[in-house]
Amino acid sequence: MKNLTIIAAMAATLGLSTAASAAELVFTSWGGTTQDVQKAAWADTFTEKTGTTVVQDGPTDYGKIKAMVEAAGVTWDVVDVEGDYAVQAGKAGLLEKLDFSVIDKTKLDPRFVTDYSVGSFYYSFVIGCNKDAVSACPKTWADLFDIAKFPGKRTFYKWSAPGVIEAALLADGVAADKLYPLDLDRAFKKLDTIKAEIVWWSGGAQSQQLLASAEAPFGSFWNGRLTALAATGVTVETSWDQNITAADALVIPKGAKNKDAAMKFIALATSAEAQAEMAKGTGYAPINVDSPALMDAEIAKTLPDQQTASQVNADMGYWAENRDAIGERWYAWQAQ
Amino acid sequence: MATLTDPSGIAGTVKPRIVRQYNFAQTMPALVLILVFFVLPVFALLLRSVLEPQPGFGNYAELLGSTTYLKIFLNTFVVSALVTAVSLAIGFPVAWALAIMPSRLSSVVFAILLLSMWTNLLTRTYAWMVLLQRTGVINKSLMGLGLIDEPLPLVNNLVGVTIGMTYIMLPFIILPLYGVIRRIDPAILQAAALCGATRWQALTRILIPLAAPGMVSGALMVFVMSLGYFVTPALLGGTANMMLAELIAQFVQSLVNWGMGGAAALVLLVVTLTLYALQLRLFGPARMGGR
Repeated sequence: MKNLTIIAAMAATLGLSTAASAAELVFTSWGGTTQDVQKAAWADTFTEKTGTTVVQDGPTDYGKIKAMVEAAGVTWDVVDVEGDYAVQAGKAGLLEKLDFSVIDKTKLDPRFVTDYSVGSFYYSFVIGCNKDAVSACPKTWADLFDIAKFPGKRTFYKWSAPGVIEAALLADGVAADKLYPLDLDRAFKKLDTIKAEIVWWSGGAQSQQLLASAEAPFGSFWNGRLTALAATGVTVETSWDQNITAADALVIPKGAKNKDAAMKFIALATSAEAQAEMAKGTGYAPINVDSPALMDAEIAKTLPDQQTASQVNADMGYWAENRDAIGERWYAWQAQ
Repeated sequence: MATLTDPSGIAGTVKPRIVRQYNFAQTMPALVLILVFFVLPVFALLLRSVLEPQPGFGNYAELLGSTTYLKIFLNTFVVSALVTAVSLAIGFPVAWALAIMPSRLSSVVFAILLLSMWTNLLTRTYAWMVLLQRTGVINKSLMGLGLIDEPLPLVNNLVGVTIGMTYIMLPFIILPLYGVIRRIDPAILQAAALCGATRWQALTRILIPLAAPGMVSGALMVFVMSLGYFVTPALLGGTANMMLAELIAQFVQSLVNWGMGGAAALVLLVVTLTLYALQLRLFGPARMGGR
């Protein structure tokens, strides 16, 4: 226990993980309710159709991907990663090029397709509020950053990723079409004004716990987690005003042992039916343009792809380019 | 826990030291295992700290030249020291009570101590989160009793980390202390009382000096373990109380900057080994309370 850290670093170096035999395919995602649905909607169907067993692993860990590729011992075949990481890792040579003769990209939202990745699902950072816990709910990012009008703790995503910096700039009055390149000085200055009132959430389950217990009665959330929380009986109000979209992506690490099966898996996972099932189960939007037609209209209208009026698209290309620099500054700012 | 020999030699029975016979042939498999799966990977990571992104000591310069990272180092030491002090303050009376209570009762207390050690660390940490949060059991009870009007900030800060880590570290200080205190002859305390010592004098001038080796070795162990702690500070602390292990995890997993991760890990390793060497030097391997 003394050297937990070093052991963790070692595990990353060695890329220790469950090994897959030939008849299997290893799918890695972020765990929790989202991966449960990915298993049901994608993996189980894939096994039914091809007879290939899909082993679930997780959580996704970029350190492990790098370690596996460098050590030429890749045990993950398909990995769900953040969109900006996919762009960056593709350029860094950590990923296999996707075979678009197997994966039909003509039906996929082009915002989320690169040579190395296709969208997994797309989500929005929205403003969530526990209505029972407060007298008034913040409706805009400016409201969420206004501690005079809305006193109390608020929660934001802890890791350096698209979402919070954009929210700070929008709250400070930057026009949505003028966000990029991000004015980091301005964003951190705005974040400084509420820093003492921020409780960070590091995973979806924690964000739900914080909101449900009113530990932080409002904040910025992945929309699907609010849908799931509302289904458990918590009175959640979601404001879609300037919801900030970002997408997860499906990638194949370079040197994956079951590359061909992995291509087929991605083809199935991005098909209209599989994407529709995924959206129904998670509240995240499908990246296949044919999926909404297959869905119940009531459900379809609660998804981010119906909330385009004031929607803001996080620029994955910009993030991929500046991921490291922003990350270093972000964590340094948090630790101050 | 192995028994402790009494280093002062004044009190209790001093057992003859067992002569250790090392058989290298038998330890080879274990040594090879450690070398291949522990020493080499660690060395590989440390090597990256001077090779990536460019060969040289750039990572160390950045690490030691930044006020943010220095703050994290400092915070790591502050938290570890605080946890050690609180563990000692709580652990000492418990160890003392354990040493003098009837053995049937003390075995029950030991069972409780050990059971808590065997429970999953994450589960225990989440339990503290539920207890300590603003809308948690403790704050709700205190507010219900009218003792406070506003919830106390007990979590996502230094208080939360200290409580959570102290709870986890307590057995590691109680067990060695118990070993030492149990070997103190109660007759010495009686003699002190007969000679006119007050209870306070008996404590500060007899019991504590005699128990000092156990206190120091327990405290050092807790301090060193705290330096590398990850889960509890990550969950119960705020980002402003970040500890070194969290910084390393960020470098390795999120920023994928293994050069910096390796550099931070080396700093932690050097500090840990220095303290360990100090402990060995002061108390010797046979006096370490079995850890």
